[in-house]
Amino acid sequence: MIEVKDLVRQFKSGDRTIKPVNGVSFELEKGTLASIVGKSGSGKSTLLSLLGALDKPTSGDVVVDGVSLAGLPAGKLTEYRRRDIGFVFQQFNLIPNLSAVDNVMLPMEFAGMRKAARLERARSLLEQVQLDPDKQSRRINKLSGGEQQRVAIARALANEPKLILADEPTGNLDEQTGEHIIELLSSLSRNHNTTILVVTHDRSLAQKTERRFRLQQGKLTEEAVRPRVAAGA
Amino acid sequence: MSVLARSVGNAFRNKIRTAAVVAVLAVAIGLALAMLVANQAVGGKVQELNASVGTVLTVNPAGAQGFDGGGEPLTTAQTATAAAVPNVVSVVGTKALRLETATAASTTSTTGTTTQQAGPGAGPGGGTSVTTNLQAAIDAGTLGNRNNTSGSTGSGNTGTGSGSTGTAPAFSLPITATGVGAEVDTSGKALNITSGTGLGDYTVASTKALVGTTLATKNNLKAGSTFTIAGKTFTVAGIFDAGTTFGNNAVYTTLAEAQALAATPGELSSMVVTVNSMENVDAAKTALQTALGSSKADVTQGQRNLETAVSSLDSVKNISLVAFIAALGTAGLIILLIMVMLVRERRREIGVLKAIGARNRTIGLQFVLEALVLVALGSVVGAAIASFASGGIASALISSNSSTSAASQRGPGGGGFGGPGGNPFGGASQLLTSVTAIASPGVIAAGVAAVFGVAVVGALVPALLTARIRPIEVLRGE
Ligand SMILES: Nc1ncnc2c1ncn2[C@@H]1O[C@H](COP(=O)(O)OP(=O)(O)O)[C@@H](O)[C@H]1O
Ligand SMILES: [Mg+2]
Repeated sequence: MIEVKDLVRQFKSGDRTIKPVNGVSFELEKGTLASIVGKSGSGKSTLLSLLGALDKPTSGDVVVDGVSLAGLPAGKLTEYRRRDIGFVFQQFNLIPNLSAVDNVMLPMEFAGMRKAARLERARSLLEQVQLDPDKQSRRINKLSGGEQQRVAIARALANEPKLILADEPTGNLDEQTGEHIIELLSSLSRNHNTTILVVTHDRSLAQKTERRFRLQQGKLTEEAVRPRVAAGA
Repeated sequence: MSVLARSVGNAFRNKIRTAAVVAVLAVAIGLALAMLVANQAVGGKVQELNASVGTVLTVNPAGAQGFDGGGEPLTTAQTATAAAVPNVVSVVGTKALRLETATAASTTSTTGTTTQQAGPGAGPGGGTSVTTNLQAAIDAGTLGNRNNTSGSTGSGNTGTGSGSTGTAPAFSLPITATGVGAEVDTSGKALNITSGTGLGDYTVASTKALVGTTLATKNNLKAGSTFTIAGKTFTVAGIFDAGTTFGNNAVYTTLAEAQALAATPGELSSMVVTVNSMENVDAAKTALQTALGSSKADVTQGQRNLETAVSSLDSVKNISLVAFIAALGTAGLIILLIMVMLVRERRREIGVLKAIGARNRTIGLQFVLEALVLVALGSVVGAAIASFASGGIASALISSNSSTSAASQRGPGGGGFGGPGGNPFGGASQLLTSVTAIASPGVIAAGVAAVFGVAVVGALVPALLTARIRPIEVLRGE
């Protein structure tokens, strides 16, 4: 369970102060697939970076399973990112000179998992995201955008995180590939009982999620709550 | 995939740049290693000089040196006195003889050898002339003839005027024969025997002799050949190389044999006293002078001119040390700048690693290792450069530093025959050119270790900079 309490993040640009996140509060139950929509520049990425402890809020707090991020030292925040969070970025952000399987193994290496175990798990994750086995050992820059995003999702799943944060994961993909990615995330949340928060400006993708939020002028509003259709868990 | 594997991979991400960086590093590292090799070679030579010659004292009869002067001769008994002086490790007696070529001796016989004995300068401590069938390996030349002119004693280090007419172009130079009590030359330095063997037991009379290279060539002598001194047949046991023309126009016999030839048993021309360490030389010199009595013996520090050699070598040593440190610093600086550049370039990637949970130290280690991969490659190429270049660099350093001091060495050595029993060293310049800078694996390994040490320091700064990169960098440009 993730609780967001009156989160504020402000930036100073010149003599102006902007608050892309200005008093955001919400709660997500475990295993929920949720989405945030909003215009470009509305602060969606800023909000995700606060939830994923990539950045610190100006005020407010994020509480994950009862642990307040505001009270954690830098080392613990690193551990939180490593163990509890899986990030999927719009631009994939894979390490270009490593193979697909090496990229997926990275978070496990950081978590201290043994090499044989890492390799086995990385291969099974890449299988789950349906990357052809012959492409698993290929360098990232030899893969298509859709394939790279699948590798990025596999990497996000590597350490079995509590929360997957996906920042416009389909933004750089064609419509069909984007659909695939969303379906993939949706089935993951069902099969692994993982909480997933997807940022998108694609309303049709947002339609497929259980809970839909809109970020506007720093405030988060919920559009509708719809019960899970294919209840697996 | 491990941190190390990733570092190696990253080092080769941009191959052209890696090649350029390795080339620049190799030059700096190669220079550093060459300087270290030069430094070690020169340092070794200084130590060797200090150890062998720098601790040697020469004892001459009071008032006499070689074939000059007067006073009472030294005796074998005095070697025991000298050996009892604290810090003295060895005492070697020498007996100098002057060998006159039989034909030359006969033509000047009336005025030659006999007058020498009675001549104004020939003291009892001086050498004794005897005949030989050997031909001197040195032409008389201007210096020889001038030194040989009667009445030229004013020039200090000339011969004692053998009484020849001085205009005779047929004048033949004498050959120095020295009886030694051990396998050392008159400066206490071990004889460099290039063929054959030594004389074995130097304390007993034997008809074996060591002959200088040029003298051997001039007289067609090889190990096993024979020649005569005072009508007695000697066998060449070995050929030695003293390193100088003058020094090689000489014969060594055992001390007892030389004393017998001169018919002066128990008499010494000089003693070569070796002191246990450089620091004790001055004290031992004073003690030795006191023990032997200043009216009987003069104690001098052998090879004073070596001090100039040592000091000029010392300056080469210092220069090469400074150059080593500078080149090492340059290598460190290159690494620092390259790594700072790489860290800036991979800011976003570092952000990604942090976003997926990499610890600061993992990322720092990855960059340090990457730097070390570059340094390792640079060291391999640099070591190759150094092993080819160090000899040239060392001799260039030495020749530029020794020209002044070498020039000032020439003094008494220049062909004069009255020197202290002959100076087999041609002075410092001779020693300096004999410094061979060989890139030994040990020195290269030590140098490479130093390079790695500096590289770690150089890489640590940018590696620590990665700790300051925040994970939010991952969103840059999104
Ligand atoms: N580090 C920053 N410094 C200053 N302004 C920033 C910074 N990061 C984001 N912003 C601003 O905050 C606003 C929200 O940005 P972002 O969260 O990226 O929007 P979105 O992801 O919804 O497009 C934008 O106006 C952006 O320019
Ligand atoms: Mg964004």
